[in-house]
Amino acid sequence: MRRKLPGEGRTAVLFLAPLFLVYALYFAYSFWFLIGTSFTKVSIGFSNAVAVGWKNYRLLLTDPAFLTAIRNNLLFAAASIAVSLTVAFAIAVLLASGIGGRRLYYAIFLVPALTPIALVATVFSRMLQYQDGALNQGLRAIGLDGLTEHWLTDSGWAFLAVIGLLAYLIGLPIMYYTADLAALRTDVLEAAVLDGAGPLLIMRNVIHPMMRSTHITVTLALLLGSFRAFEVVLLSTGGGPDNTTEIVGTYTYRFVTSAGSTIGYASAASVLVLIVAMLVSVVQVLVTRTKRGASR
Amino acid sequence: MSARGGFGLLIRRRRDRRIAQVMLAATALLWLFPAWSALREALKVDGLGNFVSLFSNPLGGIPIWRTYLNSVLNGIVHTAVVLGVSLPAGYAFGKLRFRGRETLFYATILFLAIPGTAILVPLYHVTQELGLFNTHLGIGLPEAALTVPFGVLLMRNYADNVPDTLLEAAVVDGAGHLQTFTRIFVPIARPAIVNLFVMCFMWSLQDFLWPTVFNTHPEMTTAAQAVATFHNALSASPVDSARYSASLVLLALPAVLLVVFGQRFITSGLTSGAIKD
Repeated sequence: MRRKLPGEGRTAVLFLAPLFLVYALYFAYSFWFLIGTSFTKVSIGFSNAVAVGWKNYRLLLTDPAFLTAIRNNLLFAAASIAVSLTVAFAIAVLLASGIGGRRLYYAIFLVPALTPIALVATVFSRMLQYQDGALNQGLRAIGLDGLTEHWLTDSGWAFLAVIGLLAYLIGLPIMYYTADLAALRTDVLEAAVLDGAGPLLIMRNVIHPMMRSTHITVTLALLLGSFRAFEVVLLSTGGGPDNTTEIVGTYTYRFVTSAGSTIGYASAASVLVLIVAMLVSVVQVLVTRTKRGASR
Repeated sequence: MSARGGFGLLIRRRRDRRIAQVMLAATALLWLFPAWSALREALKVDGLGNFVSLFSNPLGGIPIWRTYLNSVLNGIVHTAVVLGVSLPAGYAFGKLRFRGRETLFYATILFLAIPGTAILVPLYHVTQELGLFNTHLGIGLPEAALTVPFGVLLMRNYADNVPDTLLEAAVVDGAGHLQTFTRIFVPIARPAIVNLFVMCFMWSLQDFLWPTVFNTHPEMTTAAQAVATFHNALSASPVDSARYSASLVLLALPAVLLVVFGQRFITSGLTSGAIKD
């Protein structure tokens, strides 16, 4: 590593100036504004704000819908992590085994995750409609009328429908696994094969443990992503029935876009969500730093 | 990658290979089912006429191509800001020596996962104060703000892999950092720039939140936003329902094409931008 040159600090300030500007306006100012607003009762016009102290936070923490939203957020994240560590992993390994049509398969799994989520969620919700949805129609067509369900309006099924939709979006984990599998040493596999281990056993007991750092990357990415992807719920179940599938994103969105003096309340919710998201990010950075340190 | 060596060992027996093929094909068919169901509905009632009518009689008065154009224009703002901020920042974090560099870098990437909905209130206020409702700047800027942490991470990772000696020679020759940056680093970083460029457009096409909240004029509607606005412009009749499905298929088109043709850039961008070494 070369030594520090005189004036390099000043050059750095110059190079980082655009970054500081964006962060100052969009993050620092945003957070400051949110915290201020969260102690008031105000509408989206932001005039005639009334100071209410900690009232918004008290209301929020005693609102069952908010607590459900946080719980759902974590449950949905856990479900998509579980699907990724198993199904996405298995798909990536199969694709890496040199099976025919690899590029086509890869595209089929990746495209849904990268097209507008709003669109995928809408297609899902139409597919799951009770009367005209493709799923129920398909079931009726093959004589399985008994299996048709109110997929989006029954709370249990609606919850599973969101999980199904999240599972449908596992293209990115498949991508991370595919990238890291390509860099994995495969001579261990030869030894395992010589020992007479079957493919399933090798996948589960040899390859899966070797991909530990990818599991961590995928887990953290999905956990953080779960706070971002509010369209998944908004355009499939709309958070319903009766808020049973609400997540923090749709909860906040609902209060921001509803008429009335709900902005202070929505701000308090935003502050809490930001605190949680930043905490997860801190864990992510710490995990990564330890890994970097260990590998040097 | 051959079927013999490496992971090919897993399916070296014919029976195992068959099972693997069947499982993959079945999963892929399941993944195609939603797309198939949308296409089928789009062809109901009027067949291809549903698609034709979208051009002759646009839903909600907004032609589909206009929504594509709006997404692309937002994407241009988005990309320009992200590149303008990330390139110099990546160079500074990767190639300059200064006090507090690591701390500042990690503080920067802490913002990787800020949920858009959580800063909706302040950004509504900012957009209002700056008079940016119904402008491409008003959508592109918040999109860029959420992408910048990722862009900086990507560029820093890239800068890390550029050998110091390459830049040192220029600095020692008295070129100064500004020249080294523009003449040497930026051209070398072209692959990373292309990756980031493709991803910014992809994310602009995906973005639903900012257009939905900040666009109130129909002519500013973006492709992702149209998923909801078109729905509101329709009745529940079978004809309209089929037309809506047809519009969904068309709205998916630019994103699907971008992903299929830009897959290489997106994959390499996302995997090199993951926080890991």
